[in-house]
Parts: sequence; C-alpha cells; structure tokens
Amino acid sequence: MSRAGLVAARLLQIVPTFLAIGAVVFVLARLLPGDPVSAMLGDRATEEAVTRLRAQLGLDQPLWTQFLLFAGRMLHGDFGTSIALRVPVTAVIAERLPATLVLTALATVLAVGLAVPLAFVAATQAGRWPDTLIRAAFQVGLSSPIFYVGLLLLTVFAAGLRWFPVGGYGDGVAGHLYHLLLPALTLALSFSAVIMRNLRAAILEVLQAEFVDFARSKGLSRRVVLFRHVLRNALLSTVTLVGLQVGTLLGGAVITESVFAVPGVGRLMVDSIFARDYPVIQALTLVLAVIVSLAFLVTDLVQMWLDPRVAR
Amino acid sequence: MRRTLLRTGLAALITAGILALSHATHAATRGGKMIYARYADSLFLDPVLNDANTDIWVLTNLYDTLLAPTKDGLGVQPGLATKWDTAADGKALTLTLRPGVKFADGSPLTAGDVKWSLDRARDPKAGAWSGSLASIAGIEASDGVVKIALEHPDPTIIPALATFNAAILPQKLFEAAPGETPEDKARAFAEHPVGSGPFVLATWQRGVSMTLRRNPHYWKPADDGKPLPYLDELEFPIIPDDATRLLKLKAGEIDGTEFVPYARVKELQADPALRMELWPSTRVTYLTMFAGATYKDGKPNPMANPKVRQALNYAVNKDAVIGITTLGLGKPMRSFMSATTPLFAGQDLYKYDPAKARALLAEAGFPNGFETSVLALSGNADEANNLAIIQQMWGQVGVKLRIDLVDNATRTARYRAEDFAMRTSLWTNDISDPSQVTSYAAYYPNIHSQHSQWRDERVDALFVKSQQETDPAARAAQYKEIQDRYCAAAPIVFLYETPYPVAFRKQAQGFVQIPLGNNLFEAAFVDK
Repeated sequence: MSRAGLVAARLLQIVPTFLAIGAVVFVLARLLPGDPVSAMLGDRATEEAVTRLRAQLGLDQPLWTQFLLFAGRMLHGDFGTSIALRVPVTAVIAERLPATLVLTALATVLAVGLAVPLAFVAATQAGRWPDTLIRAAFQVGLSSPIFYVGLLLLTVFAAGLRWFPVGGYGDGVAGHLYHLLLPALTLALSFSAVIMRNLRAAILEVLQAEFVDFARSKGLSRRVVLFRHVLRNALLSTVTLVGLQVGTLLGGAVITESVFAVPGVGRLMVDSIFARDYPVIQALTLVLAVIVSLAFLVTDLVQMWLDPRVAR
Repeated sequence: MRRTLLRTGLAALITAGILALSHATHAATRGGKMIYARYADSLFLDPVLNDANTDIWVLTNLYDTLLAPTKDGLGVQPGLATKWDTAADGKALTLTLRPGVKFADGSPLTAGDVKWSLDRARDPKAGAWSGSLASIAGIEASDGVVKIALEHPDPTIIPALATFNAAILPQKLFEAAPGETPEDKARAFAEHPVGSGPFVLATWQRGVSMTLRRNPHYWKPADDGKPLPYLDELEFPIIPDDATRLLKLKAGEIDGTEFVPYARVKELQADPALRMELWPSTRVTYLTMFAGATYKDGKPNPMANPKVRQALNYAVNKDAVIGITTLGLGKPMRSFMSATTPLFAGQDLYKYDPAKARALLAEAGFPNGFETSVLALSGNADEANNLAIIQQMWGQVGVKLRIDLVDNATRTARYRAEDFAMRTSLWTNDISDPSQVTSYAAYYPNIHSQHSQWRDERVDALFVKSQQETDPAARAAQYKEIQDRYCAAAPIVFLYETPYPVAFRKQAQGFVQIPLGNNLFEAAFVDK
C-alpha cells in the first residue's frame, strides 16, 4: 500500500473507532455510581433540589433519548456544556489540551533522548559495568512512583536549588517549556526505562543477525555497521513501543499534572470523573482516542520510513 | 463553669485575633499583589445558584450582603444596611441602606437592586439556598429603605440576610447579560460578575487561576479613613496537591495557602519565614450511622438500637484519634454542632470506656459484637487515619468494621438512597445560626436527619418552635434540649472539631477566615 493510501485507510478507520468509543464511554460514564447531581449538590441537597436539577440537566430522560441527543450533537461537532463548569466543553478542552500535548511531547523527546544513547552503550557494552550501571539506574526509574519522583524533583530542583519554578504553566512558549521541563522529566524517567530495556534487547538481537556479519565482512567500519544497520533495524520495535505508549504517557500525565499544577486535560479528566461531568468525560475520551489513533498512524509512517518493507 | 471557661477562652482567642488584625492594619501597606493558592477552583460565582464551598468562601470578596457575619461567627454587623429594626410583633423588618454605595462598575446600588436580588434569592425554583429566606412574604424598597414583611416571626432572618445567597447584585447588569432563561443569564453574568464587594473579577482561567482586582468604588474605609481594600490585585492559583502548595509557599512563589495538612503544621510553625494561622471554625468531623430498623436489603440493623450507637461512641478514644489524625490540633466534638455555633450547648460526650461499651452491646443483644461497614473517601488521608484507629478500638469490643473506599459522588448517591451502614462526614455552617446544621442533622422532615432515619418527634417539634421563637432565652433553652436529646441518642459517632489551617509568608498579613469559612481579603496586604 502506498503511504497516501495507508494514511487514508487509517483516517477512515478512526471514524468507526470514534463512534464505538463514543457509545462505550456514554454507557460507562453512566454506570458509575452517582450522577452529576449528587456530585454537584453534595450531601445537603433536598429531594426537591435533586429532582429539579435532574430535570434541568435532562437526566430524567430515558437513557436512549439522552444518547440520541448526545450522538446527534456530536455529529454536528457540538459536545455540549460542562455540567460542573457551566461553559462549552470544546472551550474547556481547547484551553487545557495544549499543556498536555506539550507535556507529553516534551516527555517523549526527553525519554527518547535519554534512552537511545544509553541503550546503545548498554548493548554494545553488554555484561560489562557500564551496562550493569545503566540498567540498574533505569530499574530505579521504572520502579519509582511518578508522584514520588515528581515531588523529589520539585523539592531538589525547584524549592531547593530554585533552578525551576515549583509547578505551574508560565506564559509564552519559553515560559511553558521552562515550567514543563520538570514534569516532563518526571514522566520521561519511567518511560525512558521502558524504551531503554526494549532497545537494548533489540540491539543485542540485531547484532546476532547474519546481515550484520555480512556488513562487517564487507569491511564496513564499526561505526557504519552500528548506526546504519544495527540501530536502524533495532529502532523498528522501539518506534512501535513509543507509539503504543502514547496512551500510557497521557495516563501518567494525570498524576504529573496534579503534582506540578499543570492545567492540562489529565487533571480535567480526573475532576470531571469525580464530578460525573458526562459531557466533558465523553468529549475528552473521544479527543484522547483521536490523539492515540493519530499517534499510531505516525508510528506506522515512521516505521515505513525506517523499513520500506512495512509499506508493501 | 466549663461553658463559661470555654466562652472566656473563645472570647480571648477572638479578641486576640481582632487585636492582631487591628495591629496589622496600622502598618498596612497599600497596593501590590497577593498570591493565595487554593486547592480547588470555584465553579460558579453566582451567590444564588452556586453549590460549593469553593464558591461560597470567596463570594464575600466580590459581593456584599445587607448584613455581614461578625468575625467570631456568632453575630451580625452592618453591611450594605447601616441599621435594622424588627417590628414589635416580629413580622416585619426595616433596613436602612448605606448611602452612596456603588457597584464595581461605578453604577449606584439602589433599593431596587436589593428587592430584586432578595426576590431572586428566595425564589424556591432558583437554587438550593432559597429556604433560608422562606419566611419572607414580600419586600418593599424605596429611598434607601427596605421593608421586609415576614409570614411569621423568624429569629433566623437576621443571620440569613448576612449569608452569601442574600448578596446584592446589580439588576440592570444581570438582566443585560446574554441568554434567554434566568439560568443562562446567571451563567453569563457569573463569568464576569460585578458586585459591590472589595474586589472585582479581572481574569479567570478555569481550574488554573483567578485574579481579582481592587474595586475602586468599595465603600468600607480602613482604620486610617482611607478606602479598603489595601491590595491592588489578588491572585488565586489553583494547586490541588498539598505538598506542591507548601513547596511553592516555602520557595516564596506564593504568599499564602489554605488547607495545610495537619501533619505539616508544626513544621511550618517552626519556619521563621512563615506564619501558620489556625482560624476557629465550625468544621466538625464525625461518622454518620444509619439508624433505621432495617437496611436497604431488608436485613436488621444493629444500630437501630440506641444502646449500640452509644456503645460505639464509648468504644472510641477521641483523644487518640485527635492525637494521631490532627496531631493534637482538633478538639473533641461536644454536640452535633461546633462550639463556635451560636446557641451551642455541648458537654463532654462518651468518655472512652470499652467496658461500658461491651456492657451496652451485651444489653442490646450483641455480647459478641457484630460486623458493620463504613463508606469513606478513597485517597483521603484523614479519613483513612480515623478509620484505622476506630477499626482497632471497635475490634476490642467485638465490632468488626469493614472500610469501603469510594469517591465522593458514590458516597453521596448511597447516602441519599439511605443505602449505607455508616459513612464518614464533615460539616461546616454557612450561616451564623444553629438552625441550618440542626435542620440537616436532627430535624427529620428535611433529609431524614442526614439520611440516618433517626427520628425524635420531640426534637422535630422543638425545632419547628425554635424557628419562630423570638425570645432569645426561650430559643436557647429549646436548642439546649435538642442538643441534649440528640447527643444522648447518638445517631453519629462524635469525633472532633478542627480549625482552618492556613499559612502565609511573614510579610503577607491581614487575612481573616471566619468560622463559616469565608475568606476575607479586604484588609489583607503584603509588606514590601
């Protein structure tokens, strides 16, 4: 399949995925005990107040009526109004999405930047002390809870050394990047451990391959063999891994955004689930699903570039 | 004697607070900005339609009420009204409006705005709070005088006029807001609210930060005769994580913050750059017990027997719970309302006595105890601590407690469905009067005594009577009897009262949090 064909096919696939996820999340949100009214009015509400608000929000309608309304609006690109925040859902998400996207992108860059060279060193020095040291360090990174690493980084580099601000989002592009560096690093530490282990194993495997022996026997320099043949082939599985991990990374952003007070969609999702804010939960799940689908598409394209056989 | 001591102690504390405040105002710096980090953002800045403390506690900075709660939370003082008289038969109120008051946009606040705002606030179709103004029969307003006719004498109407939902809004601006329905207009207005309070909303990025700007038309003068507020700007960044808020405070990136975890209070008290403030509050923490004869699934409920409920209270060492969870900052609950509530008439309750608890359980037919469960908020460290201790203490008298961790909406839904054995609970008053807390906790017809199904018809009758009782001594006696009867019947496991823990950098001063929770920034300032 040509590259353009693949892109078109993938984009078409997103549509049914989108509809299925829409239906599933609609039902799942309503399966949670409680409803927006119990979350909004809290413990003090009288029966009267509850009934009135349920009617106002249309929650007293049969479920299928609510679903048809939701589906109809969604097809027109209208995600409705947030129940808790009382503003259009699209406005809230548009306001919050950039922070999360920048955070996850920065985390990915940092994780890859950290993991690839070190995996390369670990694999080429397999069994020797640099390998042991690198693997041990990443093991610590992988097994530390995100919120703990976050607080540690904040305490040392922000509150202690004052190199970074203690959380927040800042103003302007430079401000955003400066504020997001520590939270991105927090996310990157556990992510890079996953990439490092995978890539190290892949490099070791590729090193055993016959084409490597062939390349060496051709008299190619060690440098050329390692970078052009070994790394390029080993990276294939890593690229897939990075693509697949985008969802996980977005999940990790939920915790990181809370610790670092980053106004992203992760925090919005948590708040919305606690508030049973159905319109926000639905819209946000769909948006995240689209982002993950697009990440998979990009992964495929990068794979095609690394290994033209994938396209065939 | 104990009560006198307590009152004296309370009075001393309040006087000290007020002295500290007035001392602070002498050295007040004008201008500048204060950054006060909050744990959660406001949702809806409409006094009538809001539902949450995150709204209520900051509304006072934007809007004024005719009367205002005093700083000790026990009485009222002049607000937009300078004078108020109750008719001899108790069925009418006449309030004189402060002349020359303007809204933040410079337009005059008129008697018409007062009538319109109160009519909107008491409309039973609008908002959960209208009940506090339900005794109003009609309002007439002209020439700076507001006459309120009452259906019946109502001792709660004065404090009700000092409560957030009775705030005065500019009718013209509200009606000019875009939208078809009153709800739409309220939504649009609350995005850019204009009131007559010390500040006006400048910018608001939801869930991120809110900035208030000084209202140049604010009517209240400082001690030096010049107008309040001192600050030009007040910023509320939203930082949900406790540890991050405190790191920011220590790093000097913010001037103050709320909800300091009890475990961190001593550390902040020892920090020379900071000042820990513990404001007397109406906050009480307890466990609500379901007291109906049978559970939702039809099984018999041991807690329907008052002896069992008393036994469970005797089996809790409140001092130990207070020591571990609040690190000694709390005080044992002595009634279902806090000691800072007007007409509080508490006493020492259920001194730890496991032998007595066992005896009571045996008398009730549970010599070997029983199994029960409690709904608690997952992720809430205080509740987890309380329940871990209680679980052990009850285990010693044979009661096995299962802890079910859920989120707030789930707990509320099961609570409202009266489908629970016990739940963790927390209460703060919104009004300087015992009627609100009593109507929820003890008066069955409202919400079945906090959905416990506990009912004492004498308490219900006393409450109804107290709602029209104009003789203060008689009303106090009614409240004494209500509290005595409630505490003896023990539909809750009494735990503790705690202050509001807020922390500031040394140079940030003048903040006040009243027992109802309202955050007052009108006299706050930051020394350069």
